[in-house]
Amino acid sequence: MTNFKQIEENLKKEAKKLLEAGSVAVVLAYTKGADEKHPQPFAAKKADDVANIIFNEYCNHNLARYIVRYAPGTKIAVAVKAADSRAVVVLIQEEKIKRENLILLGIPVSGMKNQKTGEIIDEKTTGGLTNPVVYDVLLGEEIHTGKPVSPYTVLEQYEKMDKDARFAFWKAQFDKCIRCYACRKACPMCYCDPCFIDQTKPRWADKSPQSHGNLMYHLTRFQHLAGRCIDCGECTRACPVDIPLYLFHKKVAKDCEEMFKQAAGMKIEDKLVMVDFRVEDSDKILE
Amino acid sequence: MSRIGVFVCHCGLNIAKTVRVSELVEFARTLPDVVVAEEYKFMCSTPGQELIQNDIKKYKLDRVIVAACSPLMHEKTFRKVIAATGLNQYLLTIVNVREQTSWVTSDIEVGTAKGKALINGAVYRARLLSPLVSRVIDVNPDIVVVGGGIAGIQAALELADTGKQVYLVEKSPTIGGHMAQFDKTFPTLDCSACILTPKMDAVLQHKNIKMMTYCEVTEVKGYVGNFDIIVKQKARYVDHDKCNACLACTEKCPGKGVSEWDEGLAKKKAISIPFPQAVPQKPVIDRDSCTFFLKGKCRLCEKVCEQKAIDFEQQDTFVNIKAGAIIVATGYDLMDTKPLVQYGYGKLPGVYSALEVERLFNSAGPTGGKVTLRDGSEPKSIAILHCIGSRDKNNHEHCSRVCCMYSLKFAHLFKEKTSADVYQFYIDMRAAGKGYEEFYNRIIEEDVKFIRGKGARITESKEEPGRLVVEAEDTITTKFINLPVDMVVLSPAIVPRADAKDVQRMFNLSSDKHGFFMERHPKLAPLSTMTEGVFIAGVCQGPKDIPDTVAQALGAAAEVLTIVSKDKMELEATTAIVNPAVCCGCQNCVRVCPYGAPSFNEQKNVCEINEALCKGCGQCAAACPTSAIIARHFTNEQVLAEIEGLMEY
Repeated sequence: MTNFKQIEENLKKEAKKLLEAGSVAVVLAYTKGADEKHPQPFAAKKADDVANIIFNEYCNHNLARYIVRYAPGTKIAVAVKAADSRAVVVLIQEEKIKRENLILLGIPVSGMKNQKTGEIIDEKTTGGLTNPVVYDVLLGEEIHTGKPVSPYTVLEQYEKMDKDARFAFWKAQFDKCIRCYACRKACPMCYCDPCFIDQTKPRWADKSPQSHGNLMYHLTRFQHLAGRCIDCGECTRACPVDIPLYLFHKKVAKDCEEMFKQAAGMKIEDKLVMVDFRVEDSDKILE
Repeated sequence: MSRIGVFVCHCGLNIAKTVRVSELVEFARTLPDVVVAEEYKFMCSTPGQELIQNDIKKYKLDRVIVAACSPLMHEKTFRKVIAATGLNQYLLTIVNVREQTSWVTSDIEVGTAKGKALINGAVYRARLLSPLVSRVIDVNPDIVVVGGGIAGIQAALELADTGKQVYLVEKSPTIGGHMAQFDKTFPTLDCSACILTPKMDAVLQHKNIKMMTYCEVTEVKGYVGNFDIIVKQKARYVDHDKCNACLACTEKCPGKGVSEWDEGLAKKKAISIPFPQAVPQKPVIDRDSCTFFLKGKCRLCEKVCEQKAIDFEQQDTFVNIKAGAIIVATGYDLMDTKPLVQYGYGKLPGVYSALEVERLFNSAGPTGGKVTLRDGSEPKSIAILHCIGSRDKNNHEHCSRVCCMYSLKFAHLFKEKTSADVYQFYIDMRAAGKGYEEFYNRIIEEDVKFIRGKGARITESKEEPGRLVVEAEDTITTKFINLPVDMVVLSPAIVPRADAKDVQRMFNLSSDKHGFFMERHPKLAPLSTMTEGVFIAGVCQGPKDIPDTVAQALGAAAEVLTIVSKDKMELEATTAIVNPAVCCGCQNCVRVCPYGAPSFNEQKNVCEINEALCKGCGQCAAACPTSAIIARHFTNEQVLAEIEGLMEY
């Protein structure tokens, strides 16, 4: 694959070109954080900002998260890795943004690393993809080496647990939750304002970090993301108490894919499975 | 503080048998805000209704809970009861202690406990109810009838005669349906075409009927009084306005297809009309057998057509129709008996299916009305096998109702047209209809042999190649029979149309376990469906004969008139509204609504609901991730309170 430095250079070049020409109002990319391991999302608005753009193996943040912050109609360029591009696709399907207002700077990449552990995250949370599913400009060569990774192999251990064991597992995990909502903040699909959990009428669940309120929050969030989660893994990486949220999301994604023969955010023309009815849809969901 | 009255019905023993009603009443009296609780043997009777009304006045009730049967039965009754006292009708709550309680258990402890829990939930919910005002909408007076068989024809004619505009949508190139394929009809043996074609012609001539043949409904939106229906006019490749039905095209056409009309027993031209009395009497081109569409050249029909009516460029077109009510009369298919290998249908040339035999008898059929086998010879002995695939736990459990009678009719016609011996293999004879038993007796006297036993297997005769052997057990003599015959007629199960599921989904119907469309109530609302304004008639609802089908069609027409004869109607006030402050603009509501009521306001980045289109089904409220949608009468607070009440008990 094209190396990180080269991608960074290409990203800077494209960003500069777009901003100088005025074809976009903002370029969403990454900049230096506290140290090399902690880059930050960055919105370059002027050609001068481009010098601050970086790209390295720790640039995991899903930049699609920030698109919905801009007023409808704003022209935005976004640096998209495989997962980011899938999130963009879902946002287009959900009509939160229009394709024509986006310029997607595609980044084919593998070997991204977890900021906390340094472990390579490819197998865990990129849905097994290395190339963006949609882009306008490609900032490196497409990667076709390496064996294809199934996004669901990491579920093997989890799926061996029976119903009671799973409930016990999640109960223990959710008991750790401190309700910081970092998972929600990191998620490109969690754009609801207000989130159901912040509502007071009706009050869907306890707001203090207690067992049943935590359960209600997470289970509802999982359900709201069914058929929409694009498996970027940002929720899990954002979690300060290391709840393996990706397991649940992947399990739901796998079920959705089996039932509706469609993975989230792969094609703009796809319909959202949970709010689209097709005669051939599986009835398994009713069981 | 609410003042709630709880009224518990015994429904004779329907409820009281497995629910201790007095205990429910005692329990209700202990609940906060309940000022009165009473029981009565039949709450829906006049004294029962008066009991409620008197208590409303006496105790100044502002909420009424009736624990009785399903709200589908008597919600309307009790709404009227409380409305008559001046109380808003939406302040009524029905607790279903019959269908969902007493009828689903034989244990009185369980029944009573569930009844209490439900009443507790209802009290919680009732406190939060608010008065609502019904909406009045305009009713479109036009009617769509789907299916141009005898049911559809009859309903369309009847409605058109009242002066209403009727759209009759038929999938095939002609109206007439299965009845037009028949030769004679039981038990009177009058000629099917002679009684049907005048009606078909009447449809064609009627100024109030817009006949849409070779058309399919592709989308149904809207609701009772205001349906929006999209109909696909399939490309006929013939301009029917120009065509003068000279049929020179059919004469010259080299294309050969299989005639569905003759059940595959005959060939047809690629451009043709299905049968001589077809309505409209104008041809269509069958793409699958047309030389031009298959090989890219020919267009002979175009050359011979003086009217210049042939148009190979024609495309499918879509027509929008607005209507106030819909009749679905889509008919049936016969079961494909090929998978029942023991009968050899499709393999042994001497085995026929019932509809094929109808065509053999028909003078417009493939043999010109002569009964001959596929090799042209006349059969000397014929066996008619009843109940093939029906009344059969391995296939279709239901009785197809008409097979006994048409099998008798076949026997008579075989006797009339051939000198063959005719055998009936039956499980038991079902001749329950006017003149049916008499017909049965008549056929017995015609020297038809009746063998009580279901045909088990058909094999090819070893001794006489080409002949068939019917194996069966004669259950009267308990002997096994091997009967050599020349021809076997199978009477297959009547089954729902192959695309019945699509039709069901489109019109939002439910179906029974066999796949036939389900009526709202098997006895008291046999033609209505769960979707208001959509009615069913004919065999799509279940197997039945022509008299019953026609009776249903007339009934459905009368039901339709109760809607379209008024220009306004009252609609439920239970619509949904959006709270823009919490709407996140995800547009899930827009995507799930079957009525197209919600729309997205781009300026405000929120969704809005057009209440005139909303039917209050609540799908949007369920799909809304931020609970911005409030389904009136079923608000989140009301439903959560009810759940709390249920859990508390």
